[in-house]
Amino acid sequence: MDVVVRTQGLTKDYGPVLALDSLDLEIGPGITGLVGANGAGKSTLLKILLGLVPATSGRATVLGHDIVEQGPAIRAMVGYLPEHDSLPPDVSASDFTVHMAMMSGLPRVAARERAAEVLRHVGLAEERYRPMGGYSTGMKQKAKLAQALAHDPRLVLLDEPTNGLDPAARDEMLGLVQRIGRDFGIAVIVTSHLLGELERVSDNLVVLDGGTLLRASRTDEFLDATGVLLVEVLGDDAQTRMSEGLARRGVTATPRGSLLTVGAQSAGAGDVHDLIRDTASDLGLGLVRLQVDHRRIEDVFADD
Amino acid sequence: MTDPALSDPALPDPALPDPSTATPAGGSVIHDLGYRPYTGPRLAPPAIARSLVVTGLRNAFGLGRSGRSKVLPFVLLAFNLMPALIIGGVMVFVGLDRLPIGYAQYASTTQVLLGIFVASQAPVLFSRDLRHGTIALYLARPLPAAAYAVSRWASLLGATLVFLLSPILLLYAVSLLGELDVTDQTRDAGIAIGLAVLLAMSLAGVAGVIASWSTRRGFAVVATIAVLLIGNGIVTAIQGISQEVGKPLVGEVAELFSPYSLYRGLMSMWTGFDAPTPPTGVVMQTAYVVVFVALAGGCLATLVHRYRTVASA
Repeated sequence: MDVVVRTQGLTKDYGPVLALDSLDLEIGPGITGLVGANGAGKSTLLKILLGLVPATSGRATVLGHDIVEQGPAIRAMVGYLPEHDSLPPDVSASDFTVHMAMMSGLPRVAARERAAEVLRHVGLAEERYRPMGGYSTGMKQKAKLAQALAHDPRLVLLDEPTNGLDPAARDEMLGLVQRIGRDFGIAVIVTSHLLGELERVSDNLVVLDGGTLLRASRTDEFLDATGVLLVEVLGDDAQTRMSEGLARRGVTATPRGSLLTVGAQSAGAGDVHDLIRDTASDLGLGLVRLQVDHRRIEDVFADD
Repeated sequence: MTDPALSDPALPDPALPDPSTATPAGGSVIHDLGYRPYTGPRLAPPAIARSLVVTGLRNAFGLGRSGRSKVLPFVLLAFNLMPALIIGGVMVFVGLDRLPIGYAQYASTTQVLLGIFVASQAPVLFSRDLRHGTIALYLARPLPAAAYAVSRWASLLGATLVFLLSPILLLYAVSLLGELDVTDQTRDAGIAIGLAVLLAMSLAGVAGVIASWSTRRGFAVVATIAVLLIGNGIVTAIQGISQEVGKPLVGEVAELFSPYSLYRGLMSMWTGFDAPTPPTGVVMQTAYVVVFVALAGGCLATLVHRYRTVASA
């Protein structure tokens, strides 16, 4: 697959702060989560990729275009949802999206069609004709997303799209991000300081820390199995009896809340899954859950 | 970048009926077509800039914005046109042999209305995008920051010209209806239009610079009115005193420091309008034109610099 973004030794020195420190990065299609604490350099990286902020040194290409020489070409093919508020309050989402589509070079008629379509996709219905000043935070984020998609970009840069949203609106926004990447076929780079949400939607993760690359890999590699099975059983005093039953067969089980955790390599011979099933069956307990324990992205940081 | 899997629209939701079978007997059904990529033309930056200028011009009169924002510009425009309409009525019914007010003199007479118009509408074009952060969305698009600044200035220039030229054109039409001498009227109206363009260029520049430095609309309005009207008042006072004490050169130099007084100076020079301390001598007269144009140019350069700074902030 094509490389969407490639940086080589990208450095941004703000004087007192080194926002990016010789960053080498390759981002492919699909949804890429850009993770890092506040001040890790996420927003700076997005602005440099858009050609808004000049890099101190290093090179970068976006969709095959050099950021220094071909800024306008990049900006014609990239959609951007900034972190901060960016909507005029006295204009309707519909008019605003049409205008922004035209600012990306679409003729008026095409801009109208595209605006109606993307507003439908992001889920702004009748309210699209009302001035945006009266919108909730969730609706504002949708309007910002609509203007980023209005010109059918090849890549969208979403800077903290779930910032300030309540849980329901957050889920909706993450669902939209997922649709953009998977159904619309637009490459997505999405930043967040909340790891859990990127774990859910992104194909790849890039972790920045203090302007340097901490790790970049597929999301599922971050979450690879920990070698632990989670077991849940139902019945009278089920947890203790199960634990004792497993101990008699030479398998150590450790309680974790209402669950038991069992090392996947515990059984010397034979499959540990079979052994757990047989133990539960012998004891007359209902085996409710037997599941591989995945790590969460937070655990990756806990290791470092 | 041309992977067919990427450019294909999303597969239809299986829950929806197949489009080909869902329309028995030609009945119409609304389908979710999924995401459709845009394959049509994309215009180059010059065309984008033109569309930004037109939108800005409409916005300056409150068009495409809330109903309330249309009130002030149109009320001011109506007040500005009222004297011309009255003169027109008098001309038609009474039949005077000359216009009671010169074309160029009109803008000088209504300069307070003009000042309020420019001061109140410049923030619409220059403060709004900065205040609400919309500038980030503009700068993330193909148009460079400098082109954005020039387009905004051009919108305000256009709006100011609509304000300045509409009474001139109205008076000109009335004078032709009143069968005044066409050659004289055309020459006078032409001079007035030239002066109006010079005045509009520098007013748009001054108001634009002030509005782009203030993200608060109220402050920008007050500061612009202060600079334009109070500045003009100070210049007029200095002119009056210098004439009284018989040192007109001081007044002539003072006149270089306000767009309105520059306008008056050039007007008295080109139309024979009787104003205190008109510019005398070729050097002074040239200086007036140069300063007028340089004021507009300097303001425009400041605007470009301002938005370039914003872009890389």
